[in-house]
Amino acid sequence: MQLLPEAVLVLTALVLLGAAVAVETQSGKPISKHAAIVIAACGVVLAGLALCYVPVDVDSGKSLIVIDPLAHIFKAVVLGLGLLAVLLPPARGEIPQPGEFYALMLFALTGLLLTTGTNHLLFLFVALELASLSLYLLVGFSRTARAAEASLKYFLFGGVSAAFLLFGLSFLYGFAHSATLAGVADALGAGPPSALAVTGLVMVVVGLGFKLAAAPFHYWAPDVYQGAPATSAALVVAASKVVGMVVLVRFLMLGFHAVSAAGSAAWGGMVAGWSPWLAVLAAVSMVLGNVLALAQTSVRRLLAYSAVANTGYLLVAMSANGASAAGAALFYVIVYGLATLGALAVTAAVERDRGNDSPVAFAGLIHRSPWQAVALLVFLTSLAGIPPLAGFVGKFVLFSAAMAESTKGGTPGLTWLVALAAIMSAISLYYYLSVLKQAFVRDTPDGGNTAAAGPTLSPAHFLAVALPAMALVVLGLFPALLLDPIASALVASLGLR
Amino acid sequence: MTPAWTIISAFAGALLVLLLPARMAIASRAIALAASLVGAVAAAASCLTRLNNPLDPVWSFDRPWIPGFGIRFHLAADGLALTLLLLTGIVAVAGVLFSWNVERRPRAFFAFFMTIIGGVYGVFLSRDAFLLFVCYEIVILPKYMLIAIWGSTNKEYGAMKLTMYSIGSSALILIGLVVAYAASGGKSFDIAHLASAHYAPALQAWAFPVLFVGFAVLAGMWPFHTWAPTGHVAAPTAASMLLAGVVMKLGAYGALCVALPLFPQGFEQWKPVIAGLALIGIVYGALTALSQKDLKFVIGYSSVSHMGFVLLGIAAGTHWGLRGAVLQMISHGIIAGLLFGIAGRVVYERTHTRDLTELREFDLWRTLPGAAIAFTLATAASMGLPGFSGFVAEISVVIGLWQFSPWLVPVVAFGIVITGAFSLRALHKAFFPVRNSDDAPPSLLPPLTWPEISAISLLIAVSLAIGLYPKPWIVLIDDGLRSPVFHSILSMP
Amino acid sequence: MLLLTLLLLPLVGAALLAVWPGLGRMSAVSLATVWSVLPLVLLAAMQFQHTGTGGGVMAEWSLPWMPDANIHLTFSVDGTSCLFLLLTSLVTFSSLGLSARLDIGNRAYCALILVMQSMLCGVFTARHFIPWFLCWEMTLIPAYLLIRLWGGVGAPRAALRFFIVTLGGGVSMLLGFLALQLSVGTMDFAALSQLAAHHELTAGLGRAFVLTGFGGHALLTVVAVAVLLGLAVKIPVVPFHAWLPDAYAEAPTPVTMLLTGLLSKMGVYGLLRVFLPIFPEVLPSLAPWLTALAVATVLLGAVAALAQTDLKRIFAYSSVNHLGYCVLAVAAVAATCADHDAGAAAVSGVVLQAFNHGIIAVVLFFGVGILEVRSGGARGLNDFGGLRANMPVFAGLMGLALLASLGLPGLSGFVGEFLIFYGVFGLVPWSAAVSLIGLLLTAVFLLRLIRKVFHGPLRPSIAKWSDLTRSERWLFAPAIALIIIPGLWPQALLQFINGDTLRLLELLHPFP
Repeated sequence: MQLLPEAVLVLTALVLLGAAVAVETQSGKPISKHAAIVIAACGVVLAGLALCYVPVDVDSGKSLIVIDPLAHIFKAVVLGLGLLAVLLPPARGEIPQPGEFYALMLFALTGLLLTTGTNHLLFLFVALELASLSLYLLVGFSRTARAAEASLKYFLFGGVSAAFLLFGLSFLYGFAHSATLAGVADALGAGPPSALAVTGLVMVVVGLGFKLAAAPFHYWAPDVYQGAPATSAALVVAASKVVGMVVLVRFLMLGFHAVSAAGSAAWGGMVAGWSPWLAVLAAVSMVLGNVLALAQTSVRRLLAYSAVANTGYLLVAMSANGASAAGAALFYVIVYGLATLGALAVTAAVERDRGNDSPVAFAGLIHRSPWQAVALLVFLTSLAGIPPLAGFVGKFVLFSAAMAESTKGGTPGLTWLVALAAIMSAISLYYYLSVLKQAFVRDTPDGGNTAAAGPTLSPAHFLAVALPAMALVVLGLFPALLLDPIASALVASLGLR
Repeated sequence: MTPAWTIISAFAGALLVLLLPARMAIASRAIALAASLVGAVAAAASCLTRLNNPLDPVWSFDRPWIPGFGIRFHLAADGLALTLLLLTGIVAVAGVLFSWNVERRPRAFFAFFMTIIGGVYGVFLSRDAFLLFVCYEIVILPKYMLIAIWGSTNKEYGAMKLTMYSIGSSALILIGLVVAYAASGGKSFDIAHLASAHYAPALQAWAFPVLFVGFAVLAGMWPFHTWAPTGHVAAPTAASMLLAGVVMKLGAYGALCVALPLFPQGFEQWKPVIAGLALIGIVYGALTALSQKDLKFVIGYSSVSHMGFVLLGIAAGTHWGLRGAVLQMISHGIIAGLLFGIAGRVVYERTHTRDLTELREFDLWRTLPGAAIAFTLATAASMGLPGFSGFVAEISVVIGLWQFSPWLVPVVAFGIVITGAFSLRALHKAFFPVRNSDDAPPSLLPPLTWPEISAISLLIAVSLAIGLYPKPWIVLIDDGLRSPVFHSILSMP
Repeated sequence: MLLLTLLLLPLVGAALLAVWPGLGRMSAVSLATVWSVLPLVLLAAMQFQHTGTGGGVMAEWSLPWMPDANIHLTFSVDGTSCLFLLLTSLVTFSSLGLSARLDIGNRAYCALILVMQSMLCGVFTARHFIPWFLCWEMTLIPAYLLIRLWGGVGAPRAALRFFIVTLGGGVSMLLGFLALQLSVGTMDFAALSQLAAHHELTAGLGRAFVLTGFGGHALLTVVAVAVLLGLAVKIPVVPFHAWLPDAYAEAPTPVTMLLTGLLSKMGVYGLLRVFLPIFPEVLPSLAPWLTALAVATVLLGAVAALAQTDLKRIFAYSSVNHLGYCVLAVAAVAATCADHDAGAAAVSGVVLQAFNHGIIAVVLFFGVGILEVRSGGARGLNDFGGLRANMPVFAGLMGLALLASLGLPGLSGFVGEFLIFYGVFGLVPWSAAVSLIGLLLTAVFLLRLIRKVFHGPLRPSIAKWSDLTRSERWLFAPAIALIIIPGLWPQALLQFINGDTLRLLELLHPFP
């Protein structure tokens, strides 16, 4: 029962492959894109239904697969984000074999689902690699030079990161003599961390840093965001990032929660541990991401650098080493995923309509397609942290929690980092606004200021834009809908206060 | 009608306007007018109720919102908030009337307009720092859009500058609030709760200026005022009115009702600096206005100067000073709205210039006498002539300042004199030019329309009403200043 | 309530004019003319209601404004106020009537004049600095606009100069009173004079401004000078008269009538009702200076009038000269109250002189207006001649007013000047003696005027001018009556003010 959703996904993938073969042998043409999308989407929805029947339990420490409340929530989230990615159709002729492509999507989702639900080091690695391998292929699927470059970069960086992760995991096993995170925590609790443990930890953080596109491990991100088919990119930016965050939370909050390992990143009160490490990564990511985003002329690359910056905000919360901060980070990563995915969906539509994804291509979008422009407004302002959207609430609680968790005796420790984050977040509005300026203020250069000139979207694409936008508004107005479950899940799953 | 109707009406109006079908777009202005009237009436009714029942508990609405972080949806309306609500309502009505001729994308225009109004109402009513911050930031994007789409001179630059100043100052506010939240134990964002906590003096010494400057940027504090003139000039009339009329008040309100109560010791320490900056602002704004060529720039810099009085009153930190600050907020809101309305809408739409030398050709007194008389009254009000609201406010600030530091009063007097000078100069050059008899006769301009006349009369009437009978306003403001959050400020030596 | 109605009535008229778009230009002027006398009805009703004798407060109205700063909008009418209110309505009425005759003005013009009337009523009844100052400054805008917009070629400059100079005076006055508010916590005239009587003003100022290092007396002197400055500009007293000739000459004649008949009276009223009661402590030290200025005003006004050839400018400087007598009397009272009778005479003289000068000025400027209508704008001293021949009624009435102006016994001008000189001789004889020269000069230039304009051979160019029409005579009538009646029966006016005069002297009495 525990693996029911994954099983549904794999079965659907097989059905899809079979159908693709059948259609191709019968008609000589590959299966139609739309049919593949419908089958894959049905599979994801079914997996979601199946998830309802999965029994939720806390980690007993015995099994590889854990369906604790945290895993349960995030499986649902990953399935939701995966569904949105599936619904975002590739451009005409971009994907030569839709059957295989969507089957790979489902395999990647399976891997991501598995990754969310384990506290076991080895199983974690295996599940992560299942997802990663599928993603490498998906990124390069369209066989253009750009996609090939993106895929190669993603593969190389991903491979290196996997190696780091694996090294790290093995060191940890060597230190704790246990392959579970609980075992690592026990070993750390027994005494000061040994060099072995520290090396392992550093390597794990580097490995996950690649996955999360934290600077300076972010070099793959711009190319993947720009070169990959929108569909695959959507999966990478949203679902994969959320899962990376869940893994990071499990590692840090369960395995390395002990103060001796965490240290402190407080200004003037720096204590060695992973906390200052993350703080530095966070600061570098925020500064680099935001500054480089200012200079981009491609909206997809801009979103990539914004992803780097947003990873920085997430790491700010993590470096505070507290349950509420971790909860806030998990909330924020979901919100971030929704917003970026939606922005990517709109960008894809504009790109197909105007031929490129420079901000100028967005000029006059409000005239050509008002609701797309409004959706874009929702996504980008949510990313910039403007109320009443979820991105604002996310950032606010993120910063508050980071500050509150790092407060000792009435003196906040992480003020410097949070202040940096707040200022960087303010700067980010500039580049988001430069896109919105084109969409809302400027007119279409060739005078096509009519609704008829606008891009028409398939129903699936429409859903891929509308659903995240609605979700962002609802979560912005009622953040407790998601924040509270995450907080209680963290308590129940990881035993945090 | 409870004060909640102000917020509800504004956002409902914005939504309704957006939902209008394209062929009925022009009806959006009627909807906006109706919505802002409902807001204004609700505010006025609440003010009257409060005046009649001063001892009743204040209206409040308190529900949990994000329980994990102690964030509540907490609205409450004491007298101080109510007066500012009423100001917002009045400026909103006048703004819609002055925008009656907007024909380019009217639905979007009025939707953004009403969103700003709703956000402003929200700030004044919020008693939770998070909610206040939400409402404070809601305003940013519509501001940008209004200026960038419907603006004039250098609009995209002005809009972006304003937006970056706003968001930058919001970052400072965010830092200040989050620090207070963390240092008070991370339990609640309720302003009263945050204000009742004790913060270490060392913390207050740096957290106060961060929070205060964050708010004061939007209030146009020198040297962070530079967004104001460019933003005001670039903005369409209604947006200038809103910017100067109410959005600048958001900053002042935040400084007064959040920054001061949270970090009273920090305030005590930084008082002289704030007073100094405020004085520089008063004099600098007035002197700069004296040398401007564009009528809107004159008004823009005069706003900087007038907002200096607000900050000065706050810096004085005495009961009179705070009261004067709020009075000046209201007074400047009305008068700036009026000045911008006349300069931007009534004159500019007819002459297509705001250059003081070019306006000479139009001989506005002959061609547009209504506007000339209205602007004369507005100028008189802006100069602080008795009988208008500005006088009441300035006299209160001066009394407050006197109690704080008598030496500064002469500087203020100097500022007032310069204010008179630049107001008269602008009035003369723009409306009563000296023309030779052999100059070509000016072409006729269309007379004032009824929305313009109603808006002008409304604003002048309010300014006169405050100037002639300020007592109810004072009673309401004092009602707010009696709130426990001000105890730590007003009980200081 | 009656008083409030009186204050607001002209404003209602102004609002009516402002919102009545269909109203024709001339019917607006007629409506305003009629409207401007309505306050007289209320004044009469007030008189009728008031049963007490010997002056005293007839009507009162008060509204808390900033109660915790002791600021109330307090207005009240006593005998002196009553006279000034009467003058206000009469002058406004005449001014509007002349406007109709001269065919100038429109709805805005009339509305502005009515606003000014209302504000003047406020100035003459306010009992607290704030409402007083409020009305004081609010007269500025209508006056400015009236000069600026309906005046002659040089009006823009003249109006601006008038505005800035009087505004500066206002600011100085405001600062002075603000200092009092900050140190003793009130700006109420009665309260301040009570404090002054107990020497608490000097003490309070000394305490509040201890940082400046000056004593209370010096500080109060500074405050008094600041207030005096605001008043002196308005009257005007030499050397603050620079704005006057241009403003009077450039303004349309009906507006000049208002300026000299009413606006200058604000200053006199302020000297008498505000300055004297509040600053008795420093009056002796200020009095010599004030006396010097007053004498200079008297002499300079007369000399300047001699040198003019424009009728309007002659009358303008003559006004300076005549109001100089008022200042002279005030200065004398300020200097000493040793002789109670002389003091009473001087104070009464100030009021009467102010009132009578207003009435006489009405007639004189009315005459200028009539001449302007007939001549098409010319008003030089040498443009006319022999008018007595073809305009006997006009010449007679003008002659009456001119003689009243130079103080012929039996006419109103005499009463005021006599009382003033009687009083001043009793108090500060030298100044009265010097001022007599002014009186002589007045006679010279007024007689010269009569000779040049009304006597001599009739110029052919003006031979066809007709005498006053019936309506013009009616406009002249009330003012002429008010020139003759007080001249024969001064008690008619004095009974209004006797009580107030005694009260004022009582306030001044404890100070040597």
